Amino acid sequence: MTHALRVLRTGALLEARNVITSNFMLFCVFVQPFFIGVTVMFMLRHRPDFDPVYVVVGTALSGIWSAVLFEGNWIIGGERRVGTLELLVASPTPLLLAIGGRLAGSMGFSVSSVALAYVIVAWLFGAPIRLADAPGFALSTLLAVFALWCTGMLLAPLGVLARTISRFVVILEYPVYALSGFLFPILLLPGWTNPISLALPPFWAAQAMHMTSSGEAWALPLAAVWAILLGTGLTALLISVPLFSAVLRRARVAGTLSLT
Amino acid sequence: MQAIELDHVRRIFRTSIGTLRRHTKEVVALDDVSLDVAAGELFGLIGPNGAGKTTTVKILTTLLIPTDGRATVLGHDVVADTRFVRRNVGFLFGGERGLYFRVSGRANLEYFAELYALPPRGIAKRVDELLALVGLSDRGAERVEGYSRGMKQRLHLARTLLHDPPVLFLDEPTIGLDPIGARDLRETIERLRERGKTIVLTTHYMFEADALCGRIAVISGGRIVAGGTPAELKRHVRDLSVVELELFGAPDDLTSRLRAIDGVDSVVVERRELRQVFRVQTADGERAVPRLLGVVGQVDVGRVSVREATLEDAYVRLVGRVE
Ligand SMILES: Nc1ncnc2c1ncn2[C@@H]1O[C@H](COP(=O)(O)OP(=O)(O)OP(=O)(O)O)[C@@H](O)[C@H]1O
Ligand SMILES: [Mg+2]
Repeated sequence: MTHALRVLRTGALLEARNVITSNFMLFCVFVQPFFIGVTVMFMLRHRPDFDPVYVVVGTALSGIWSAVLFEGNWIIGGERRVGTLELLVASPTPLLLAIGGRLAGSMGFSVSSVALAYVIVAWLFGAPIRLADAPGFALSTLLAVFALWCTGMLLAPLGVLARTISRFVVILEYPVYALSGFLFPILLLPGWTNPISLALPPFWAAQAMHMTSSGEAWALPLAAVWAILLGTGLTALLISVPLFSAVLRRARVAGTLSLT
Repeated sequence: MQAIELDHVRRIFRTSIGTLRRHTKEVVALDDVSLDVAAGELFGLIGPNGAGKTTTVKILTTLLIPTDGRATVLGHDVVADTRFVRRNVGFLFGGERGLYFRVSGRANLEYFAELYALPPRGIAKRVDELLALVGLSDRGAERVEGYSRGMKQRLHLARTLLHDPPVLFLDEPTIGLDPIGARDLRETIERLRERGKTIVLTTHYMFEADALCGRIAVISGGRIVAGGTPAELKRHVRDLSVVELELFGAPDDLTSRLRAIDGVDSVVVERRELRQVFRVQTADGERAVPRLLGVVGQVDVGRVSVREATLEDAYVRLVGRVE
């Protein structure tokens, strides 16, 4: 157990140092959320029901989600391209842990989207930011990051198993913003999409974070939202376990762990 | 029990060719290969490009599953018991890939130390030791992207040895090293063998195989075509000596004309810009020289020498690849 945690930590630190120099990750975590945040502020700030903290949370989530989606989808292919995938596979540590640590590193880095979103809304637009339930928000953020990490862990083997689909993963970026209600309530969407929303960990992440920051009540109590958030995350993680095995088995049969 | 056993191992790769009308093509990388390596032995695997050396190593390091047959390391099946095998083998694939470029050499090693579950307290010390062993002590803190090719290669060796595995696979470890670096590495390999490690070495440098290996298998087209100690392999060319002719501007058909001469066993050419070196294996030794020069004709002749056959000559004869 402690070994697993050490692998996750070392992998995360290695990856965090790695992504700081990656232009693409900087784009996902800073540039794109910046434009989203600024645009939404211009659109919404004069409306009577405008809530600046809603924009902070939504903008930050968009940054974290982009990081999860792209990193999760590319991470195994990236290791293969660099030539490290074989080294990871041939080590006695399960690949899932190695990949998990790396993904945690880029996610940890992506949480800085929260600070960026705060700066945009509070400093650039001078909107007042108040957290309705600060400790609740902290816990919601923690659970949200964990559940999104689990989602990334599910995307990682899928990125290899469904290679054709994974090439078009970019198109998943915006629908999930919408379906998860990062910036606009899903009530604005057609009713048939609601079941999809309810199955997505990012949706529950957004719910928990919005509820504790804006302080608005919702159909379910906060504790239930947390439980479902954790549940959807763990489900994604559980599904990922056999998928990782399938990836490894297939690669060792087909000889696709390396490029050479 | 042998340290390493391959028992009738076959490995087939399916690759798809063609862009629009795709069809699959089968490549037989290993065709019924059986071999044993004893504990503490330094075993050489030599053979031409595409012979199946790396495939063999990858099967033994659990990276590939054999299509047929069985392979074991220290008595443990490489497919069924991957955990044991992975803990007990270290491997090095020659080349520059397989490192995290944006972080330091030390960070790379520390990460793999965790993956190999080294005791946490000992990691810093172990990494220091290995950086010193491969001569990177004063460069370990720098990012790998600034390393030269040889430095990356040496970092790989350090990674290979991190967990002090009893069985080592070194796939072309000296490729890209400068002569002194390569000699140092050969000494390191020698010392590892003295410490009782079982080592499988693949190389294209015959003198390296000759100097280091206790036993060698020659593999070609996925089959083992010969095996034994370097001395036993050289016995394949015991009766032959080698005449080396250095020529300037030899015509293309000279090889076949030389081969046609009575008593000539094989001819290989090494072509450099203006100079060609013909290596002629013959039982006649220096007595063959006048006949050879007679065929050469009007071409400028440089150095002519006659020497005993080496492992490389044995290899050329066994593999039968003539250019
Ligand atoms: N992943 C793969 N997919 C398809 N074919 C492969 C794969 N790996 C190896 N092969 C094929 O298997 C054969 C043996 O390759 P291998 O890499 O084992 O040769 P080698 O002896 O190591 O050669 P070299 O001296 O060039 O390193 C070659 O024909 C090669 O093209
Ligand atoms: Mg090879």
